[in-house]
Amino acid sequence: MAALIRSLRAVRSLRGLGSVVATTCPASLYGGLRRGFHRAALLASDSKSDQTVPPPSHHEHYQHEDPWPNTSYQDQSGEQAEDYETEDQLQARILTAALEFVPQHGWTVEAIAAGAETLGLSAASAGMFDNGAGDLVLHFVGQCNVQLTEILAEEHNQVQLGQAEKKKTADFLRHAVETRLRMLVPYIDTWPQAMSLLLLPHNIPESLKHLSTLVDDIWYYAGDRSTDMSWYTRRAALTGIYNTTELVMVQDSSPDFEETWVFLDNRIRDVVNMANTAKQVQATGEAVVQGLMGAAVTLKNITGVNQRR
Amino acid sequence: MQRATDCVLKHGFVRVLYSINTRNVPAAINRVNSSMLCRKYTVLPPPRDKEEKAMLDSMLRVDHAGEYGANCIYAGQMAVLGRTQSGPLIQNMWDQEKIHLQKFNEILGENRVRPTVMLPLWNIAGFLLGASTALLGKEGAMACTVAVEESISEHYNSQIRALMEEDPDRYTELLQLIKEFRDDEMEHHDTGLEHDAESVPGYMILKTLIQAGCKAAIYISQRI
Repeated sequence: MAALIRSLRAVRSLRGLGSVVATTCPASLYGGLRRGFHRAALLASDSKSDQTVPPPSHHEHYQHEDPWPNTSYQDQSGEQAEDYETEDQLQARILTAALEFVPQHGWTVEAIAAGAETLGLSAASAGMFDNGAGDLVLHFVGQCNVQLTEILAEEHNQVQLGQAEKKKTADFLRHAVETRLRMLVPYIDTWPQAMSLLLLPHNIPESLKHLSTLVDDIWYYAGDRSTDMSWYTRRAALTGIYNTTELVMVQDSSPDFEETWVFLDNRIRDVVNMANTAKQVQATGEAVVQGLMGAAVTLKNITGVNQRR
Repeated sequence: MQRATDCVLKHGFVRVLYSINTRNVPAAINRVNSSMLCRKYTVLPPPRDKEEKAMLDSMLRVDHAGEYGANCIYAGQMAVLGRTQSGPLIQNMWDQEKIHLQKFNEILGENRVRPTVMLPLWNIAGFLLGASTALLGKEGAMACTVAVEESISEHYNSQIRALMEEDPDRYTELLQLIKEFRDDEMEHHDTGLEHDAESVPGYMILKTLIQAGCKAAIYISQRI
C-alpha cells in the first residue's frame, strides 16, 4: 500500500513528460495494477537511458527512490506550474480522446478505456470514472454546449461590430438549434444509447443542468432580456423544441437530415404563432373590457344613476 | 362604497395587471438626474466564482420581486383611492417605485439573473393587498404603506450589512444603489406615518400581518 502511494507521488510529480500514469484503479483490477506499476517503474528509473526495466516483483517488496520533488496532492493549494494537470483536466482529456472510439464501442466504458490507451495510459484508468459511460456522455454534452456558446458569442461580436446583420428571433433560434444538433451528427447512430444514459435517474440532475444552460445561452444571445414570466415560458418552449427535434433527428434517414430541419422550422413557427396569438388575445381582452366599461357608463347615464345632485 | 368599487372598475383592473411594466414613467423627477440611476455602466462586478454569482443572483432576484410587489400594491391603492384627495400622494410614491423596478429590470437583464417564478402570484397578491387596505380608507392605505416599506427597508439593511461584511470595496456601486433605494423606502414610510397611518383601527394587527406576509415573500423569492 505504501508502495502504491509512493508510486502515485512519483507519478504526479513528473514534469514535461508526455504521459502521466494514473494508477487509481480499484484493487480488483490487480492485473492493471501490476501493469501500472510496471509503467511507474519504467518512468521512475532514468527516463533518458535505455536500461532494461527490472522485473516487477511482488508489489509489497517494491522499493523505489523518489528523486523528484514532492509536489503531490498535499500541495494542491496555491499556484500550479504550467505543466501540472489537475485530475479534472486529466479526466477531461481522457474523455475527449474516448469520443473517437464511440462509433466503434458505443457510449461505454470500453470507449473510455480505448481513449485512455491512446493517451498512453493504462486501460484500467477508465476505472476512475465512477459513473462510467454516463460521465462520457455528460462530458460530450457539456463540450458541445461550450462550443455552441463560443460560436454564438463570436456571431454576437460580429453583429456588434457591424460586420453581420442581426437575425430575427425565429431565424436565430433555428440557426442555434441546428448548429447544436449538427454536433451530434458524427455520433448519431449511437445517440439513442446516449439519450437513454442521460435519462438514468442519477444522471438526470446534471443533464437537466446542461439543458437549462444551453437554452438560457441561446435565448441570451437571441437578445432576450425579459424579467417576467416570459423568461420561463420562452425557455420552456425552446426546451420542448430542442428535445423533440433531437428525437426526430435520431430516427431521420433523409439526406443531411433535411426532414429534421423542416420539423424544426415548423416547431419554431408554431411557437412564434402562439406568442403572436397570445398578444392578440391580450389586446382583444383589453379592448373588450374597455367596451364593457363604456357600455356600463352609458347604461348608468341612461338610467340616471350617474347624476350628481 | 359604491364610489370606491366604481373606481376599481373604471381604472381597469385588467389594464393595471397587464401594464405594470414601466412604460409611463414620468420624466419630471429631478432627483433622477443627480442620482446614480442615470448612469449606464454595470452595477455589479463580474462574479469570480459560482458561489458569488449564486449569492448576487439571489439578492437581485428578491430585490426585483420586492419592487415588483410594491408596484402592484401601489397600483391596487391607486385603483381604489386614485380619484380621492390622497391620489396624488400615492401616485408620487408609485412613480418612485416604478423607477426602482425599471432599474432592477435593467440589472437582471444585463447580468442574466433569473426572475422569481412567483411573480404572477406577487402581482395578484400585491394588488389585492393594496386594494383591500385602501378600501379601509386613506388611513388603511397609509398603514399598508408603512408596514410594507418598513419590511423592505429592513430587508435592504440586512443586504447592505451582508455586502459590507463580504467586501465593501468590491460592491461599492451595488451598495450605493441599495442605500439610495433604502432611503427612498424610508421616505415613503415616514410619509405614511405623517398621513395618519396609525389611526386606522387594528393598526398593530394589520401591520403585523402584512409584515409577516412580506417576510414570507422575501424568504420564498430568495430561493425560488
